[in-house]
Amino acid sequence: MPERLRVLLVDDEAPARSLLREYLGAHAGVEVVGECANGFEAVKAIAEQKPDLVFLDVQMPKLDGFEVLELVAAEPGAPAVIFCTAYDEYALRAFEVHAVDYLLKPFGRDRLAESLGRARDRLAMAAARTQDAPPAAATNGAALAATARGEGRFAERIVVRDGAQVHVIPTDQVDYVEAQDDYVAVHASGRSHLKHQTLAELAEALDPERFVRIHRSFLVNVDRIARVDLLAKDQRVVILRDGKQLPVSRSGHDRLREQWS
Amino acid sequence: MHPLLARPARLLLVLTLAALSGLPLAWILRLLSPRPWFAALAFAVPLTVFYSFIVLSAWWVCRRNPIRGEQAAHAVAMQLGAALQATAVWTALGAFWGVALQRWLYASGLSRAALLQDLVVLFVAGIPLYLVSAVAHYLYLAFEASHAAERRMLESQVGAREAELRALRAQLNPHFLFNSLNSINALVGSDPEGARRMCAGLGDFLRRTLALGARDSVTLGEELTLVERYLDIEQLRFGDRLRVVQAVEPGAAECWVPPLLLQPLVENAIKHGIQDCVAGGVIRIEAKRVGDALRVAVENPVDPDAPVRRGEGVGLENVRRRLEVFGARESQLTASREGELFRVSLTLPAVQAPAGASHA
Repeated sequence: MPERLRVLLVDDEAPARSLLREYLGAHAGVEVVGECANGFEAVKAIAEQKPDLVFLDVQMPKLDGFEVLELVAAEPGAPAVIFCTAYDEYALRAFEVHAVDYLLKPFGRDRLAESLGRARDRLAMAAARTQDAPPAAATNGAALAATARGEGRFAERIVVRDGAQVHVIPTDQVDYVEAQDDYVAVHASGRSHLKHQTLAELAEALDPERFVRIHRSFLVNVDRIARVDLLAKDQRVVILRDGKQLPVSRSGHDRLREQWS
Repeated sequence: MHPLLARPARLLLVLTLAALSGLPLAWILRLLSPRPWFAALAFAVPLTVFYSFIVLSAWWVCRRNPIRGEQAAHAVAMQLGAALQATAVWTALGAFWGVALQRWLYASGLSRAALLQDLVVLFVAGIPLYLVSAVAHYLYLAFEASHAAERRMLESQVGAREAELRALRAQLNPHFLFNSLNSINALVGSDPEGARRMCAGLGDFLRRTLALGARDSVTLGEELTLVERYLDIEQLRFGDRLRVVQAVEPGAAECWVPPLLLQPLVENAIKHGIQDCVAGGVIRIEAKRVGDALRVAVENPVDPDAPVRRGEGVGLENVRRRLEVFGARESQLTASREGELFRVSLTLPAVQAPAGASHA
């Protein structure tokens, strides 16, 4: 257990941050290493500062709290998270994504102290495990994103982290996605973004009406398909509007036909 | 589809009545030129059954020519014309059927003169029969229209109440209260005097909301004051990120509007605009009179990269419904997005409140 607890405050409203700062000031051994007013700043600060604990607002500009968590959760040394929100509906989901706790605004000193205690316990447990123990937050970003979206909804954007930089890709800009070992390469608007996720997980998050798994390694936006060419018996390729060719497996072709029938 | 033909049971009823009305016709024809009952019925019954369908066609003529104001004379002329056409068709068919019966089925030995007499009877009887049908159809349509009007009125009353309730509930949005209480909580430590001002401001806003919500209409000026109180509270949460520009032209503030119409729009402008923008932006509120219309608009910046929010449009839909209930046909709401600006425009009939009414 770290002697000093390094804490990051993330909330787009200045009064909410100053309240946390004031409350935390009364706790010995707690050091506020930074304040962020939006999701982008939060991802960057978490990568750079490596805080032990993050107080995370849910509704923020650029990225919401759940998206921030999705981007940082899989990293080794990911911080413990306490959600701060005025919305009860997010509270339940906070637990489902393995947040340490949630604080419903407005909250008092005692409630904050209780959350802080839980965070210390959680961090101590994580530290007691081996070096490569799972981080304090959830490890599975995909499951986390699904929970945050809510039942029966599809992602409308894909968030990708590139070092301290974050890219937000609206799903209708995605041309196709290619599996690459433990990563997926999301091809959109002529650029490719690597994301630590499996293709199956991403496929599950996207609307099956718009994205079809044409091959073990390829997921394609059906709006981008120009035509399907037959190269040899049972060997087909999808030609995208920009001329790019993607292989089609037999079952992938079945899925495409089902989509178009 | 004609209401009498829409169901098999009704159709059967029509056919039965039409066949039965063949009896008096046969009786009259026998009186004029004697013949066996069988011959008279064979002639009359198929013809009355046929004519019943022609007579029902008055339904479409009635619907297309409502008796209303200046169109009444036109409608009567149309119906008389339709009656002549109907009876002409009927008589022609009668001639065909009369000759066919004589030739191929049953030679009753009627003279040509007697057959002509039969046709004159058909022609003369056909006109009043058609007109009676037209009158009956007009009565039915009038009955139906008054029924529908009554139902519409009830529906709009229920709709108005529902919309009012929803507006009030949306107004007392708990998340707005929770966030405001959190801000006050923060102020207590750093700026106790500011915390007191916030408490007073929040109380004032809530009291005004309840007072305005209880009335049928308020002036735009009163609504704008409520919006200002609301923005004062939000200013504390958002600081420099929230900037407001008001452009209210003379004469607009004195017009009647439904209560709590504007505040939800401004709340949306914060929730889906300012809150999503890192640097915030300007909420622009405009109001002006253009002839007989009052135009009100709320504009806010939007961030194209904003996280997807749920429940958008519900607030707008509510405002639209309340506008409908309030201002009849001339009212409208349009929402448009141009680049990174979102704009909601309202048009209402401009009805000026008497001087001093706004603080009643």
